[in-house]
Amino acid sequence: MTAEARAVRPALRMRLIPAARVVSVILLLAAAGRLISDRFLTIPNLLNTVQAVALLGIVAVGVLFVTYTGNYADLSVPSIMAFSGIVAVSALRFGIVASLAAGLCAGLAVGVVNGIAVGYARANPIIWTLASGSVVGGAIRWLYSGSQVYPDSQLPAGRIFLALYRASLFGAIPATLCVLALLAVAAHLIMTRAAYGREAKLTGAAYDVARMSGVNVKLIVALAFFASSFAASIGGILLTSLNKVGAAYIGGGYDFLAVTAVVLGGVSLAGGRGGVAGVLGGVLIIGVLRNLLMLLGTDTFVQDIVQGAVFILVVGISSLMLRRAGRDDA
Amino acid sequence: MRSLRLFARYRIYLLLAAVCAIMAASAPNFASAFNAGTILKSASAHLLPAAGLTFVLVVGQIDLSFGACMTLGGMLAIGLEPSLGWPGGIAVAVLAGLGIGLANGALVTVARVNSFIATLGTMIIVQAAAKIYCHGGTLAVHDFRLHHWLDGALLTVLCPRALICIGLALALAALLHWTTIGRGFLLVGANPSTAWFAGLRPDRYVAGAFVLCGALSALGGAIFAASACAANPTMGDNSLMLVIAAVIIGGTSMKGGRGSVAASMAAVFMLVALIDGLSCFGAGFEAQLIASGSVMAGVVLYDAFVARRHELRRGARPHLMRSG
Repeated sequence: MTAEARAVRPALRMRLIPAARVVSVILLLAAAGRLISDRFLTIPNLLNTVQAVALLGIVAVGVLFVTYTGNYADLSVPSIMAFSGIVAVSALRFGIVASLAAGLCAGLAVGVVNGIAVGYARANPIIWTLASGSVVGGAIRWLYSGSQVYPDSQLPAGRIFLALYRASLFGAIPATLCVLALLAVAAHLIMTRAAYGREAKLTGAAYDVARMSGVNVKLIVALAFFASSFAASIGGILLTSLNKVGAAYIGGGYDFLAVTAVVLGGVSLAGGRGGVAGVLGGVLIIGVLRNLLMLLGTDTFVQDIVQGAVFILVVGISSLMLRRAGRDDA
Repeated sequence: MRSLRLFARYRIYLLLAAVCAIMAASAPNFASAFNAGTILKSASAHLLPAAGLTFVLVVGQIDLSFGACMTLGGMLAIGLEPSLGWPGGIAVAVLAGLGIGLANGALVTVARVNSFIATLGTMIIVQAAAKIYCHGGTLAVHDFRLHHWLDGALLTVLCPRALICIGLALALAALLHWTTIGRGFLLVGANPSTAWFAGLRPDRYVAGAFVLCGALSALGGAIFAASACAANPTMGDNSLMLVIAAVIIGGTSMKGGRGSVAASMAAVFMLVALIDGLSCFGAGFEAQLIASGSVMAGVVLYDAFVARRHELRRGARPHLMRSG
């Protein structure tokens, strides 16, 4: 490495703090798990832990693009999930391929509108996605007059749809995990190897610099929202398959959970910092924590409190350490 | 140009007037004293959190936890009323909101956590705490005297509940615009370093805004629950979206330094009147979601358009700007 390149790279400890926080929290939780229950470090339990957060992982990888390009979060994720799921269920009578395509297109349509509004018209991302999520949520309730739709298990397509979430590869690895792995690898390659990743990093870190360097910043931001809606649509279809019902309320809470995972994974809300591996780590932290509390037998509300407290503690401590080290993310 | 600026400044009042005029002309039973009373009543639940959130946005931060504060405030006021009486219950509720605001303020100013993240965390915690307190169900009121007084007739359409909330919100509007402390909030939001050089302590104003927002939300939740005679765990969630929409539509900037409590109040009335008018046509919850979402989307797009025009004209000669 030349001296110049070394000067540009941030100090090692500054790069390591976000990574170290993910790894150390997971190790801490795993150690606690070993102490709490013998069942924790068994293959079925670990597989359960991972599968329980696979959908969150899929959604979070999408939201990562939005956060990475400096647009905080996509709060329309729950509505996109509900929309893609319910449309897929109502298109089941045309066959499974048509159903999945329709569900995906429905979700992507919301993403395109978000991308145009935030990327091209420069609307505030938080407020815009809150608004578009609200409109889509209302539209679903209006179109289906407030009722839920159930996949018809009499149809072959319906049976396949219901089996989507429950399928597994080689009888052991859940299909949802494979979907997550595929998405994560693709996202990682786009972030690190493709021109899009580098341009997105610059756009997120310094929007005006990127714009004046000839980066098509509008397209970059629009594509980030497109990616988020793509991941959310896949997550929504799988979640609908899991719940065996398409409804307007499906996906509720996934917006803030995804932000939690993304931020725990060391992605800066200031944009331009973080990566897919970190986000998967953040998702894993949430999964292991939930699993531990379940093994302890705490009720769901206490689980929420502990999760919120861990979230604040981890982010608070690491942002304090970063500030001591001379980098301010706030 | 001058007229455009005036329009931008008073657009929310024009919107409010337009919504009322259109609804009065077309919606059945909209223009009646009874319906006016209904609008005032249902708007009053959102006025206090809207005023608090305006302060938080003015100092350049965001608070996602105020909905949870409302829920907890309502729960505590109703749950403690049998043992402490109404004054005690409401006082504890406000103190709880104050504490949550203080925690938010400390996280943002001392630990320097981004306020979006910090208040997201406290939102999750407070929501869960409220659910534990009520065991996931609905708490009901045993003593109906406060309800009768709050919702009783005072002047034909104005009940004490609306009067208290409007009065308090107006006092906060006066605080923000007509006092040195209030102008301090605006200065800190617009430019923290200038504020620091002017002898203000930006961190105190930021923390103060969070405390104000937490306490006001809890009080709003308590008043709402006392007059509705029940508190349920989703109470604050329903208010969250409407209040954020109202404050943004009222013209308060998310970048900080610009905002008006009076405009936020007008925006709350506008949204509530719009929803009420739609329900006069027989529309339900879905219309409420679509209407508030569309208005918010329209306003945020308009703001983006104005910002873009401003960007394009930056550096242009001022006399040309005035004529164009």
